[in-house]
Amino acid sequence: METINIICVDDQSDVLDAVTRDLRSLEQFYRVEGAESAEDCLSLMNEMDERGESVGLVISDHVMPGGNGVELLQKISSNPIFKETRKILLTGQANHADTIRAVNEAHIDNYFEKPWDPEDLLATTKSLLTSFVLDKGFEYKDFLPILDQVVLLSYLKKD
Amino acid sequence: MDKTKWIKILIIALLSVITLFIPFDAIGVQVNPVEQRVIAMFVLAALCWILEPFPVWATSILIIVVMLFTISDKAPAALILDDSGAKFGNLLSYKALMATFADPTIMLFLGGFFLAAAATKYQLDFNLARVLLRPFGNNPKYVLLGLMMITALFSMFMSNTATAAMMLAILAPVLALFDKGDKGRIAFALAIPIGANIGGMGTPIGTPPNAIVVKALADAQVPISFAKWMYFAVPYMLVMILIAWFVLIKFFPITKKSMELKIENRFLKTPSAIIVYVTFALTVLLWMTGDLLGLDSNAIAMIPMAVFAITRVITKDDLNKMSWDVLWLVAGGFALGLGIQKTGLAEHLLASIPFASWPALAILIGAALIAIFMSTFMSNTAATSLLAPIMAALGISMGAGLDSFGGMQGLLVAVALSCSLAMSLPISTPPNALAYSTGFVKTKDMAKMGVTVGLIGIIIICGMLLVLGGAGYFDNRKVAEVVPATTTEIVAAPVAAPAEVAPAPAQ
Repeated sequence: METINIICVDDQSDVLDAVTRDLRSLEQFYRVEGAESAEDCLSLMNEMDERGESVGLVISDHVMPGGNGVELLQKISSNPIFKETRKILLTGQANHADTIRAVNEAHIDNYFEKPWDPEDLLATTKSLLTSFVLDKGFEYKDFLPILDQVVLLSYLKKD
Repeated sequence: MDKTKWIKILIIALLSVITLFIPFDAIGVQVNPVEQRVIAMFVLAALCWILEPFPVWATSILIIVVMLFTISDKAPAALILDDSGAKFGNLLSYKALMATFADPTIMLFLGGFFLAAAATKYQLDFNLARVLLRPFGNNPKYVLLGLMMITALFSMFMSNTATAAMMLAILAPVLALFDKGDKGRIAFALAIPIGANIGGMGTPIGTPPNAIVVKALADAQVPISFAKWMYFAVPYMLVMILIAWFVLIKFFPITKKSMELKIENRFLKTPSAIIVYVTFALTVLLWMTGDLLGLDSNAIAMIPMAVFAITRVITKDDLNKMSWDVLWLVAGGFALGLGIQKTGLAEHLLASIPFASWPALAILIGAALIAIFMSTFMSNTAATSLLAPIMAALGISMGAGLDSFGGMQGLLVAVALSCSLAMSLPISTPPNALAYSTGFVKTKDMAKMGVTVGLIGIIIICGMLLVLGGAGYFDNRKVAEVVPATTTEIVAAPVAAPAEVAPAPAQ
C-alpha cells in the first residue's frame, strides 16, 4: 500500500495540533505531519519524495515568518513532482489580493477561514485525497473505507 | 506493509520452485520437464492471484514472460534441450504466446469497451436508466426490481464495476432519505452489485470469465457464438434477477412506502450521439443475428471500433483510458490455457486420473462449486483462467460422457456462470466492494444474500444444462471428431518423451 502524507503548515503549534486532531480518523490510512514554516514543509516534502512516499495534501496557513503560505503553495503547484498534490489554504489573514493569487497562481483546491468547522475540513480532506488516489492510479481498494463515495463512484463509472 | 508483501513473494517463489521438483512419477503421473514447468506455472499464477502481492493483471504479464523464457521455442537452449540436443517436451510457439494479447476474443472484448465508452461519454447509459426506470413507478419494491433489471442490462455490455458505480451514484442520495432502521437500505445497496454480477453473465462480453470460456471452447473446435450464449444466458439471468429480488425483499423488507429516483437528463441529439445510438443498436443486432448471416461475433466487435474512431466519438484520450489491464489479465489466462493444451500436459494428467469413470453429474456440480468457491476469494477472471483450461481438457477426455448436460460446452458454461455467482463477500467482486463501502451493508448481510443466491444459482445452472443438454442445444460433435486425433498423438507422446527425458531432473 502506498504511503500518502498530509502536511499541515502553521507557525502556531496549537493550530497544528487542532488540525491533526481533526484528521485523526484518517491516520490509519494517511500519515499526518506538521511543519512550522514554508521552508520546513518543502524540505519535508523532498524527504518524503526521496523515501518513495507521496504528498497527497498540504494544508497551509498564510501569514508565517519566513515565507507566506500562498508562495509556498505556488511553489508546490509549479513543481512537476507534486503536480497532483492537493492544496488547502487555511487562514484568517489573507487579503483580497492574496486570495486571488492563491486561486490563480497557486491553484488551491479549497479555502478555509479560521476558525474552521472540523467536520467540513475532514470531509474536504477525504474528497480531495480520494481524487488524489484515483488520479495517481493507486490501488483504490487499499483506501476504500475512507474514500469519498461521490468522488469514487463518479471516477469508476467512467471505466 | 512492505514486509508482508515480501513474505508473500517468498512463499510464492518457494512453492513454485518446489513444484518443479515434485516426483510426479512416484505417484503414477508421467510428466516431462516442460509439462512439470507448466504445473509450476499454474501454482505460481494461483498463488499470485490469491495472495495478490502484485495487481492481478501484473501476474498475467509475469506468467507470459516466464513462459516465454522457460517453455517456448525461444527459451534459452540450456533450459529446453537435454545433453543430446533433444527437446525436454513439446514447446510452445512464442508467437502464439504473444498473440494471446490480440486474440480474437480479446478483440471481442475491446469492441465491448468501445461500445461502453461511447455509451458513457454520450450519456446513453444514464438516459436509458431514466427511461427504463419510469414504468416501475414509486413503490420501492418495484423500483428495487427495476434497478436490478437495469443494472443487469447495462452490465451485459459495460464492465460490472462501471455499471455498479453508476447505479450506486444514482441511488446513494435517495438511500440517505430512508429511515436509519429501514432494512430496505440494505436491500437497495445489495441490489446493485447483485444486478451487476448477474448481468455480466448475459453476454460473452459481459464479464471476462465468459471471454475465457468462449476462447477455450473456440480452441477446442466447439465455438459458441454470441447469440447462442445469449439465448440461454439471458433467460437464466432474468430468472436469477427475479429470484434474487424475491430473496432480497424477504430478507430485508422495505418499510418506506414510496420513493422517487430523480435522474435529470435528456437524450443528446447531436450527430455524434446519434452515431453512438445507431452503432450500438446495430452491433448488438448483428451479434444476435450473426449466426444467420454467417458473420463472426469477434469480427463484428471491430465494427464499432472503426466507426467510433473515424467519427471521433472515441478520441485518442478515450482509447488510452480503456481498461487495458483487464485485457492483459485475460491474456494471461489464455496463456495458461495454451500452456496446458499445447505441451500435452492436459492429456497426460487426464490419462493418469480416471475421470471417465466418474459420474458426469458429480463432475458438473463439483466444477460449479469449485468455481464459486475460488472466485469468492479471488478475482473471477483469475479463477476462470485457472479452471477453464483444466475443465476444457476434462471435457475433451470425457467426450460423450458429459453429453447429458451439454458436454464440454455445458461444463465450461457452468464454470463461467458459477464464477459470476460468487458474491458473498466484499472482496468477491469490485461491485460488492463498492456496495460495502457505502456503509449501508454489513458483511453479514452480504454473506447471507450471496450464499443464498449462489447456491440457488448453481442448482438452476445444473437444471438448465441438463434440460438444454438433453434437448441437444449444445453442439459438441466436433469434440468427438477431434478426440481420436489428439488422443493418439497424446498417447504416443507420454510413452516416447518422458521415458528418455524424465530422468534428467532427478540428477
